[in-house]
Amino acid sequence: METQRKFIVPIGPQHPALKEPGHFQFTVDGEIVTDASVRLGYVHRGIEKGAESRNWTQNLYLFERICGICSHVHATALAIGVERLAGVQAPPRAQAIRILMAELERIHSHLLWLGVAAHEGGFDTLFMYSWRDREIVMDLLESLSGNRVNYSVNLIGGVKFDVEDKHRDAILRGLDTLEERTRHYLNVVTTDRTFLARTRGVGTMSREQAELFGTVGPTARASGVARDVRVDAPYEAYTQFPVNLVTDERGDLMARFVVRTKELFESYRLIREILDHLPAGELTVRVPRKIPAGETVSRVEAPRGELFYFIKSNGGEKPERIKVRTPSLCNWASVMQVAVGHKLADMPMILSGIDPCFSCNDRMVLIDRGSSAQVWSWDELRRYGIEYYKKL
Amino acid sequence: MDSEGLIQTAVELLAPWTLKVNRPEENRVDVFVAPDHLKDAVKAIVRAQWGYFSALTGLDQPPAEEGATEGTIEALYHFCRGPVVLSIRTSVPYSNPVIESICDVIPSATLYERELMEMFGVVIPGTPSTDRLLLADDWPEGVYPLRKSFTGFGEQKLEEADGNAA
Repeated sequence: METQRKFIVPIGPQHPALKEPGHFQFTVDGEIVTDASVRLGYVHRGIEKGAESRNWTQNLYLFERICGICSHVHATALAIGVERLAGVQAPPRAQAIRILMAELERIHSHLLWLGVAAHEGGFDTLFMYSWRDREIVMDLLESLSGNRVNYSVNLIGGVKFDVEDKHRDAILRGLDTLEERTRHYLNVVTTDRTFLARTRGVGTMSREQAELFGTVGPTARASGVARDVRVDAPYEAYTQFPVNLVTDERGDLMARFVVRTKELFESYRLIREILDHLPAGELTVRVPRKIPAGETVSRVEAPRGELFYFIKSNGGEKPERIKVRTPSLCNWASVMQVAVGHKLADMPMILSGIDPCFSCNDRMVLIDRGSSAQVWSWDELRRYGIEYYKKL
Repeated sequence: MDSEGLIQTAVELLAPWTLKVNRPEENRVDVFVAPDHLKDAVKAIVRAQWGYFSALTGLDQPPAEEGATEGTIEALYHFCRGPVVLSIRTSVPYSNPVIESICDVIPSATLYERELMEMFGVVIPGTPSTDRLLLADDWPEGVYPLRKSFTGFGEQKLEEADGNAA
């Protein structure tokens, strides 16, 4: 009977170590996924509510902690929005340092993703190499800010630290090495036959789908959607240092690898450009403690795509409301639609292909609608995917 | 098209349902519509392929003072195109917080609608899933954390929770 061949596969929510929790449920017919759903919130911390009982400065620290990977863009989005409400602008040098840090953060984030995605595909050599090289940019971030994550660059009205000549030299040296390595990675993800078997023509999202589902960032750009806040609505120093859009028409997993890898080159170019033309001057301007009443929208391009802040002030020391829409949420919505029709074995790669802010989940139960149930871990699903492709 | 042109196009598309248009800052336009017309307005934007649905913000506006007029929940449907952000805004009263789902027009809106239901207690007929998305499984029914009236469960609840853990 048709119904007995259907299985529901819940994945998650717990993972004890590296990764973050989420829960997906895939309904499968044989090997093919026929329905997908998601349950989030296992790490919901009530930050939007918390914002309403903290002052603007405290919130800067709170919102930087929304994400451990792209912390800087959160603080930047908030700072820009609050500055706009207050009618001030950070000085040119501060604006340049903000986007310099943003691009360094993008490099670290993209390299991190490259490793994770390669690992999900069973390509651990690439995972090890890309994470080794990522240490170069982590060291640079640490030497600038004192921290590997949560750099705490921003103040409302500017930045906390300057970029000095010694930093400049170290960054340029680091970029040279990274650029050479990235050329190698681009070669690997476009020519390695084993790898291409897992990425080419897999998880394809057409441009129309990407548009309709409101995908953002590299996920959208890999489906040929020319969408990047740095280009569409340049903020801070991106007006002086324009970004070249990287897109790919193919829309499959391979395209997502190619787009992110090529974006690394663009970040290297931008950083060199910024260092060559770093404006002189102050790092901060004075901002009143009370922010005038009003509403503003602040959009920035996080490594995963458009980050959207809606900020409302009632004229006091605390915000009336801060709404945050992270890029992963947009991309989740799309991947749950796109997953349908694909093989269960492709799920680990398709999920990691959007670079989700939490990538995966430990416990997975494979349930027959009739009676028997089988417990899988994410790792087992991953291995299942790898073994599946070995047999082909 | 420049941003002024984009804003004009959006305003014209929404004209049949518009209650009020507001230009709060550069590159932004707010169009206020009645809750019954929200879906038609969204449809018009999607059909004309004016940008993409970027976010859904809920705002709680409690009554100004005790015994005053009833509070409202405002929902802002943000659409982005190039540098322009269009917000289609609609307000519903606490006593009848109903906004029709837009998921058959924009399927991926389901996550945003579930967030609005959980956090503000808006009822969204026609939405494909009303399962919990963000709040904990044991979160009490009828408590909407992003409403201003919610100020936490207080000491007692915390003690109970500690007791359970022990």
